[in-house]
Amino acid sequence: MDLVFWELARASGLAAYAALSIAVLTGIAPRTRLLTFLASNRAVRALHDWTPWIVIPAALTHIVALLLDATAKVGVLDVFVPFLMSYGTLAIGLGTVSVDVLIIVLVTTWFRRAMSNGAWQWFHRLSYVGFVTLFLHALLSGTDLTSPLISVPAWAAAIAIGYYTLERAGKALQPARVRT
Amino acid sequence: MAANTHTLPLTPKTGPGRKRSGPVPAWALKVGTALTTLSIFAVSFGFASSHLYITSAPLQPVVVSVSDPSRSTTSLASSVRTTTRTAVTTTKSS
Repeated sequence: MDLVFWELARASGLAAYAALSIAVLTGIAPRTRLLTFLASNRAVRALHDWTPWIVIPAALTHIVALLLDATAKVGVLDVFVPFLMSYGTLAIGLGTVSVDVLIIVLVTTWFRRAMSNGAWQWFHRLSYVGFVTLFLHALLSGTDLTSPLISVPAWAAAIAIGYYTLERAGKALQPARVRT
Repeated sequence: MAANTHTLPLTPKTGPGRKRSGPVPAWALKVGTALTTLSIFAVSFGFASSHLYITSAPLQPVVVSVSDPSRSTTSLASSVRTTTRTAVTTTKSS
C-alpha cells in the first residue's frame, strides 16, 4: 500500500509542475502574445483565472501522498516550514518554499479587492519565485526527472517560461526608457 | 491567479496591422488544460509504477532499520574447552 502513495506522490508532483507551468505561461501570454495563434487574450486570461482548479488538487495530492508515504518521512511541519528535513534539506525545502509562495499568491488573489493594485501586483510577481523554486525542487529531488521522457518536457516548460518572462520584463521596461 | 487589467491589455495592438487571434474559446482551453494535466498524471503514474526504484534518482531517502533493544540478542562465543585428560598424540622432539 505504501508504494501506491509513493507512486501517487511522484505522479501528482509532475502533474502539479505541468499545471503550474500552464498557469504561469497563461499569465505571461496576454502581454507577450505567446498564445495568440491559439486563442484571444480574453480566453487565455479566463484560462489563467481558472488554473487554480487544477493546480490546487495536484499540489494537495502530492503533499498528502508524501505525508502518508512511509519512505519519504515528510511531517506536517515540513510541508509549511522549509529546510527542516533530515535528508535532502535544500531539495525538499525548495518544494516547501514553492508551496508557501503558492499559498501567498492564491490568498492575495482571492482577497485582491482588499488591497491596492500595486500591492497585489508585487504579491503576484512572487509566482516567478515560486516557479523557480518548484523547478529546482523537481530537478534536485524529482525521482523521475532522471528519465529523458520526463526531463525533456520539464526543461522545455522551464526554458519557455524563462524566455517569455524575460521578453515580458523587457516590454515592461520599454516605456520607462522612452520617458528618460 | 487573476491577471491584472491595468498591466495586461486585452488588445495590445489595434488597427489594420493587428494579428488575428486563434479561434479556440475559453471553455475549450479549460477542457484541454484539464485533460492535458490528467494525461500527464496518468502517464506519470504508469511510469512510476513501472520504474519503482530508480538508482540514479537524486534523492534516496535513508531506510532506517527497525530494531527493538528490549528483544533478546544472540551472542556468539567459542565453545572450545581445555581438558584434564592425557593427550593421545605426542609431539616429536628433536
